[in-house]
Amino acid sequence: MVEFRNVTKRYSNGTVALKNINLKIDKGEFVFVIGPSGSGKSTLLKLIMKEETPTEGDVFVNGYEVSAMDMYDVPYLRRSLGIVFQDFRLLPNKTVYENVAFAMQITEALPKEIRRQVPMALALVGLSKKANAYPAQLSGGEQQRVALARALVNNPPLLIADEPTGNLDPETSMEIMRLLCEINHRGTTVIVATHEKSIVDMLKKRVVALDKGVLARDQQKGIYTNEDKNSQIYS
Amino acid sequence: MKIRTAKYIVKEGILNVYKNKLMSLASIGIIIASLLLFGIFLLIVLNLDHNTRALESIPQLEVFCNYNLDETLVGDVEQAIREDERISEYRMVTKKEAFNKLKEKFEGNEDILEGYDESFLPVSFIIKLKDPRDSNEIKEKFENMSKVESVECPQRSIELISKASSWIKVISGILIAILLVISIFIISNTIKLTVFARRKEISIMKYIGATDWFIRWPFIVEGVIIGIIGAVVALILSGYGYRALELRLGNDIVSVSMGFFEMLKFRDVVLVLVLFYSFLGAVVGAIGSVVALRKHLRV
Ligand SMILES: Nc1ncnc2c1ncn2[C@@H]1O[C@H](COP(=O)(O)OP(=O)(O)OP(=O)(O)O)[C@@H](O)[C@H]1O
Ligand SMILES: [Mg+2]
Repeated sequence: MVEFRNVTKRYSNGTVALKNINLKIDKGEFVFVIGPSGSGKSTLLKLIMKEETPTEGDVFVNGYEVSAMDMYDVPYLRRSLGIVFQDFRLLPNKTVYENVAFAMQITEALPKEIRRQVPMALALVGLSKKANAYPAQLSGGEQQRVALARALVNNPPLLIADEPTGNLDPETSMEIMRLLCEINHRGTTVIVATHEKSIVDMLKKRVVALDKGVLARDQQKGIYTNEDKNSQIYS
Repeated sequence: MKIRTAKYIVKEGILNVYKNKLMSLASIGIIIASLLLFGIFLLIVLNLDHNTRALESIPQLEVFCNYNLDETLVGDVEQAIREDERISEYRMVTKKEAFNKLKEKFEGNEDILEGYDESFLPVSFIIKLKDPRDSNEIKEKFENMSKVESVECPQRSIELISKASSWIKVISGILIAILLVISIFIISNTIKLTVFARRKEISIMKYIGATDWFIRWPFIVEGVIIGIIGAVVALILSGYGYRALELRLGNDIVSVSMGFFEMLKFRDVVLVLVLFYSFLGAVVGAIGSVVALRKHLRV
């Protein structure tokens, strides 16, 4: 589903954000990407959605060879991804319903399909009642759920979230993470970059830890802190 | 592209024009100004072309007798023409004919001629030469006859006008090119402001998988609407301006009776203006939008 082969990313200013990363994520997995600030988590996700291109190595996503992809194909790659950000990124002048419907509109979906899928996505995130509200009228947690509904409405096989709970209080964060787990249970592969130690520790999912651009740990049913008592890197 | 997508694009484009009223007005103003300048050059060129062609169909010389000559004195002039071996043929234009011709020119507003009759017009002779190189000498010869008022020599006007019109064509071509570039630049800058205001929206659209054209089209529609509105206003203004000029020049009996310059009727040029204005307005608007968006689509 997602594969990194010897991937190095050097930004134009010389910063090396990722060093020789090898990583394979299979269909149906739930993966936390963790690491201190500046360790390269966002860069890793940006390589998946082709916002950045690797300096060396290859990236494969949903059957696309993303690293060698033509610019014209990027929109179609992104339609096969659901993307969620820390700052929600909703269109302020569209209602909740319109925001979600818009993701289908740009794929030229049939109006009939849109009318069927959008309420389903809103129901999944528990926001059916707020369909006609504008983003400014919603709480942060609700806005992030709208963003999730939008990410899911086209039924993408892969969902990518970069610190989806970064702007939310712990309780709301937990709700969003539960929602991500439920989405994962329905068969969607989920990759989440996060700093939420307590949640990572509680959910016991696969953990990919980055440190200064190096893949420091890749552990099934991992927790936030390295269990190796001799090297307490992240505490 | 599906029809529903086209609908979305047109709706979005119209909304953009409306939402950015101030910017749209500024852009429309700029388009009007450039189109008007362009229109002035176009109308001059069209009129010059028309007159060169009209003059080319006129015989080489026309000798006008004094308007108060009686028939025997006119006969003297005719005889002088007949006897000149350098003249291949000639035709007399009677006062009546001249008056009818004048009436033709004023078709539609004959009332201008009310109170006049043919008596104030001169008898003239249209003469063709065997060799056009003689035209200067013959002109001089007849001008020196006391019974002759003047000798018109369209040949010269033709040369003058066609020389002038080819220069004017070159100059206006260059000016039009410069105007186009300037207006594209200004339009793209105004649209850039609306693009800048919506850059977040554009980047969100890119993240959820919108193609560049899906994002671009509404802005192009916006630019084209601005261009077309500008074209319509420019057309109305040019129409009024041309009419006013037409009336001033057209009412001037002297300039018309000299047959020197004939203005095209507005209805003859209106189609050309409509085509040029709407095409240029739309193209300038569309290119302006595409230029404005270039940077913001790279996400
Ligand atoms: N566009 C860019 N140009 C240059 N350097 C960049 C760019 N984006 C990121 N970097 C650098 O690359 C490194 C990794 O950044 P990245 O955003 O991937 O970190 P991160 O793990 O997501 O951090 P955080 O937890 O703070 O979000 C950092 O040193 C950062 O300064
Ligand atoms: Mg980050």
